Amino acid sequence: MQNSLTSRRKFLKKMAAAAAMTAAASMFPGIIFASEQDANVPKGGNLDWKKGPCRFCGVGCGILVGIDKGKAVAVKGDPNSSVNKGLLCVKGYHQIMCTQAKDRLTHALVKKNGRYVQTPIDEALDLVANKMKETMEKHGKDSVAMYTSGQSTIPEGYVASKLMKGAIGTNNLDCNARLCMASAVAGFLTTFGADEPMGCYEDIDHADYFITWGNNMAEMHPVLFSRMLEQKNRRGAKIIDFATRTTRSSTASNTSILFEPQTDLAVANAICYEIIKNGWVNKSFIENHVNFSKGITNMGYGLEDNYKFKDKPTKINFEAYKKFLEDYTPEQVAKYSKVSVKDIKYLAAIYGDPNKKVVSYWCMGMNQHTRGTWMNNLVYNIHLLTGKISQPGNGPFSLTGQPSACGTAREVGTFTHKLPKGVVMNEKHRRLAAKIWNVPYERIPSKPTYHATEMFRAVDRGDIKFIWTQVTNPLVSLPKTSRYRPGMEKDSCFVVVSDVFPTPTSDVADVILPASWHIEKSGLYGNSERRTQHWDQMVEGPGETTPDAWMTIEVAKRMGYGDLFPYSKENHVEEIYKEYTQFHEGAKHGMAPLEVLKKESGAIWPYVNGKSTQWRFNAKYDPACKNGKDFHFYGKPDGKAVIWQRPYEPAPEIPDAEYPFWLNTGRVIEHWHTGSMTRRIPVLHKAVPEAYIEFHPDDAKKLGIRNGEHIKVSSRRGSCVLPASINERGLPTRGQVFVPFFDENMLINDVTLDAFCPISKEPDYKKCAVKVEKA
Amino acid sequence: MKKRLGIISLFVMLFLAFIAIWNYSYQLGLEEAYIPIEDQNHLYAIPSESGVFRRSEHALDYSNMPVDENHQRSLTTYYENRAYHGAPPSIPHPVNEHQNMGGQSCLKCHENGGFAEKFNAYAPVTPHPELVNCKQCHVEQNTQSLFKSGHYASIVAPKAGVNHALLGSPPMIPHQIQLRENCLSCHAGPSAPIEIRVSHPERVNCRQCHVPNTQEMTAVGTFKRAGNEE
Repeated sequence: MQNSLTSRRKFLKKMAAAAAMTAAASMFPGIIFASEQDANVPKGGNLDWKKGPCRFCGVGCGILVGIDKGKAVAVKGDPNSSVNKGLLCVKGYHQIMCTQAKDRLTHALVKKNGRYVQTPIDEALDLVANKMKETMEKHGKDSVAMYTSGQSTIPEGYVASKLMKGAIGTNNLDCNARLCMASAVAGFLTTFGADEPMGCYEDIDHADYFITWGNNMAEMHPVLFSRMLEQKNRRGAKIIDFATRTTRSSTASNTSILFEPQTDLAVANAICYEIIKNGWVNKSFIENHVNFSKGITNMGYGLEDNYKFKDKPTKINFEAYKKFLEDYTPEQVAKYSKVSVKDIKYLAAIYGDPNKKVVSYWCMGMNQHTRGTWMNNLVYNIHLLTGKISQPGNGPFSLTGQPSACGTAREVGTFTHKLPKGVVMNEKHRRLAAKIWNVPYERIPSKPTYHATEMFRAVDRGDIKFIWTQVTNPLVSLPKTSRYRPGMEKDSCFVVVSDVFPTPTSDVADVILPASWHIEKSGLYGNSERRTQHWDQMVEGPGETTPDAWMTIEVAKRMGYGDLFPYSKENHVEEIYKEYTQFHEGAKHGMAPLEVLKKESGAIWPYVNGKSTQWRFNAKYDPACKNGKDFHFYGKPDGKAVIWQRPYEPAPEIPDAEYPFWLNTGRVIEHWHTGSMTRRIPVLHKAVPEAYIEFHPDDAKKLGIRNGEHIKVSSRRGSCVLPASINERGLPTRGQVFVPFFDENMLINDVTLDAFCPISKEPDYKKCAVKVEKA
Repeated sequence: MKKRLGIISLFVMLFLAFIAIWNYSYQLGLEEAYIPIEDQNHLYAIPSESGVFRRSEHALDYSNMPVDENHQRSLTTYYENRAYHGAPPSIPHPVNEHQNMGGQSCLKCHENGGFAEKFNAYAPVTPHPELVNCKQCHVEQNTQSLFKSGHYASIVAPKAGVNHALLGSPPMIPHQIQLRENCLSCHAGPSAPIEIRVSHPERVNCRQCHVPNTQEMTAVGTFKRAGNEE
């Protein structure tokens, strides 16, 4: 069906003529209400609208918050933001409501004789600093750790990195983005040598096909999905949902293809096999821009403590790669993937058609995977073989789940191996950091220490004796919390938790620090499309709540590093951002100056000569391309991207007679991550008040399970009781159950497995073996 | 001898009493249901997703349709046709074919809607065209009189414009959506009541912004942490 914007405008005009424009209409740009419809809607007074990014997912929608007498009372989509063009989702529209929750942490709490005692914030920060210093003196600097977040603002991540790596001199800093984006990062680095997507959301307006890999975008990235639906309706673009579970996205797609967990590796290889077999390879692209490599296989799954792995890449040629793919004919793969030969060939034909533009989208399905890095590599292989990359409407696009997983965790580098630019292993990168931080270069250790899972194992073992978590809730979000909760409860580790609300993590803290929420502080986030967004503080926080960055700075000062943190309380966000952007100067990663970000609804880096770079590595759009060809993958020394030979390997734990079901975990549209915010938004809580366990109706029938009945789901690690859900929100395949992880009263992560991708160290929350019984 | 007889008769009496009491309690036990009815703690049902996107292929047609101001339905007439809100609407027009269950003859007009000259109105669109035994739930209205009048309880139907959690936020879904998962069939097109006709049918993924509200089924309170009662 074809339709032009003008006819829609005409329609709107007609509607407008018939209906009076009122206050409500101004809330929804482009949407006009008939007078009957807003007769009962309360009229907004003179609200002061302030711009910022949404607090929730990695899409990074622009929001406008309506302020009335110093209070946030309304939220609408920012019509100037090219991300969401005025639209939001259920979470976005209601986000400010959580700040009014009764159990808001408003003052510092210090545990004394088993009870939390309200303590002035200065005193609590003294205690934190003393404890941290004392622990370092007694047990060495590697006995203290910080665990931060992809929800930390850029300044918050930056001062945490500076404190740990620059001031103290330990790499004991990791973040929860390890649990969601590490495989994406490792995939980008191994294939392109440069992190983050090459394309941008505008791809949606150009693509003919959207192929989503294990990604329920209708619920998890709803605003982007709405943009896809719009293209589907207006231009006839097609959505193909490739997943292990039938979801709202599957229902909205043109085609839904289901596969057996873990076999996405094989299907991706089969697609490449078909592309080569049918001569759909873009030969000149391959010759000019691609190398072939293979790495170590049978890497293991990181289940044992102190597991170490380092990949050894070996160059191979196209013929060897072609030979390798012979194990992945559609006929062979169809046998264990449960994807029909026809569907595999259909997918290959879409990627292979030189006249069709294809974008692949994925998020946790591919990243939370014990072969997550491989899986990311394999989808890049498809796009590289066909040359469908770095062009409007053509490219692989790795989505993020947290608002600043890109901006903070990945770009500032709050991982154990990272620095704001580059990695600790690289002397040049250490020297640059030392120079900007003004610390001796020898102070920054060259060896990474603990990634997230290993960090909490070290707490459990007693190796880490002080840990400070910020903006995250690991005792709900880590895998196998059945081990890490008792680990954190041990007296051997002093636990400091900064948060806005009490959580199961703050329940085990020795000191709880009251953090400012989103709009109660200024900050910067970076979204999935490399867009940096700034906001100014909009309202005052309650009690003694303090921005996380400022609490880190205050502790650093108390520990004697004051000279490295010369920022002012009023202006620290701007001062820190200015210092930070020095790291990224140049055409490859230049960041937009603060003046631009204050004015505009975000800007995409590389920001060069006052312009966002929408498609990296493409000479037409990216001024950093210097090889004189049409594409330049400048992340790699020879300017070429890598096609990786990565085989299919089974999951670490597979359903058997004793534990016959796959357990898959994830989210629902109403709740975000561990629910500490969204469950305190009454509208959202009322829509989905508790977690549940989804069954395929056939499995439910076989087990005699009725909807709502309480079911105990157990693995070799732990168990959890939840009500059954049959044919409600989602429909798992036979032999699979699905549980959303937002509910701290039903901790499904007590059941999950802490196996991870050996390269990225990202755990797999999507696959482990469980049994179910009536509770 | 007398003494022994006394002891024996005492035991006999105790034995008889035992039988009587045992019998009585056995009979009482029989009267109870032998399958105990368990208390279900499950509070709510998450609405099904089936048919959510069913009419989305017509979304652009909906948004391009001119408004026929002379033939608009209102919420009042919409509710008038139902015993209570959420009840299956009755058939407000004469039906010629009495021997079928509805099926194709109803769907001719009610699957996709359109203007019916005869009734001078737009036919409402069914949200569940797969259920073809229409008359199973929808009854004709062949008389205006009552067999006996009565005091039928009425529940208050949801109103438009009062379902916002925040000033100007997208309204929540104030009614249950079982059998009405497909929003566009009632909220878009010329037969949609004017107060609830969506101004942006092309958006399609309704539940992206509009949250279902469980209040009609169970009053879910605010979030409580386990073991942390306020």
